[in-house]
Amino acid sequence: MLETRVENAAENTMSAARITGILFFTLAAGCAGLKEAPPPSVAAESEARRETPIALAPPPAGPHQPVKTVMTENEVLGLDPVAGAPTSPSKGKSAARAAPSSATGPAKVSASPAAVEQARKNEGPPAAARNPEPPLDVAALTARLRETNAIGVFTKLALKNQVDDLLKQFQAYHEGGQKTGVAPLRQPYDMLVLKVLSAVQDKDPSLARTIAGSREAIWGILADPEKFKSVA
Amino acid sequence: MIARARASALILSLAALFAWPSLAAQDVALLKDLTSVIMLLGSPCDQVVSAKRQADNDHIASCRNGDRYRVFVNAEGRVVAQKQ
Repeated sequence: MLETRVENAAENTMSAARITGILFFTLAAGCAGLKEAPPPSVAAESEARRETPIALAPPPAGPHQPVKTVMTENEVLGLDPVAGAPTSPSKGKSAARAAPSSATGPAKVSASPAAVEQARKNEGPPAAARNPEPPLDVAALTARLRETNAIGVFTKLALKNQVDDLLKQFQAYHEGGQKTGVAPLRQPYDMLVLKVLSAVQDKDPSLARTIAGSREAIWGILADPEKFKSVA
Repeated sequence: MIARARASALILSLAALFAWPSLAAQDVALLKDLTSVIMLLGSPCDQVVSAKRQADNDHIASCRNGDRYRVFVNAEGRVVAQKQ
């Protein structure tokens, strides 16, 4: 009698275990086919980034200025420079070049002044006026870089090593009082910013936008001996 | 007794089933981290396909192209990718 009850209980447990196992197998099989889709804005952003090459250096100057066919990094990321940030001369040059080239381009569209005025009214205020960027906060940016999960520990440490190396070079330049200025350090600085951007842009696009937007402001601090002393 | 043992086995297998994805995610994150740090340090490695932990902050990374690097933090606190 007792043995029969024990056997019945064992059979019940076994059948329950089987049913549970089948359920979980079905659940696991269903989950295996799922892949997390990125949010639409991020997906669109990464798509745009993939399709559009980034101009890393200004095109060489020549007698015939080529039409600007690649977008700058800030244009790709949809950025305006940080308020108060110094504008790099290359940007000014490229803008100056873009105007005459578009004026002398092959496709000339004639529009009446009234139509142009109407189009201007429809455009509204410029992007910078709509979204004024806050001034650069180096401490907050450093904290965000330190806390982001977009890059691993080794990468963070390696980037920090390289940042420290570059800061030492800036310090040497400022202490040495060299007449050439810090212009030779611009390229290593740009390379380092690009490394940081490439490390964070996929998983933390917001931080990447902030860094890219602060690029000139950070350079302004590093290049100015007084500001550099106050930060370092 | 047998039923209890089977129930325990079932619980363990379920625990393993749920724990597996998080372990795999950690592995993937480490491999990506090693890949990016090796590339950041200027060494050729398109992708780290496996890594063996030797100590804290000390791994042997095997790249898809067959190269192997010891990635570690040296005494000065610098990350080093040393080709093996």
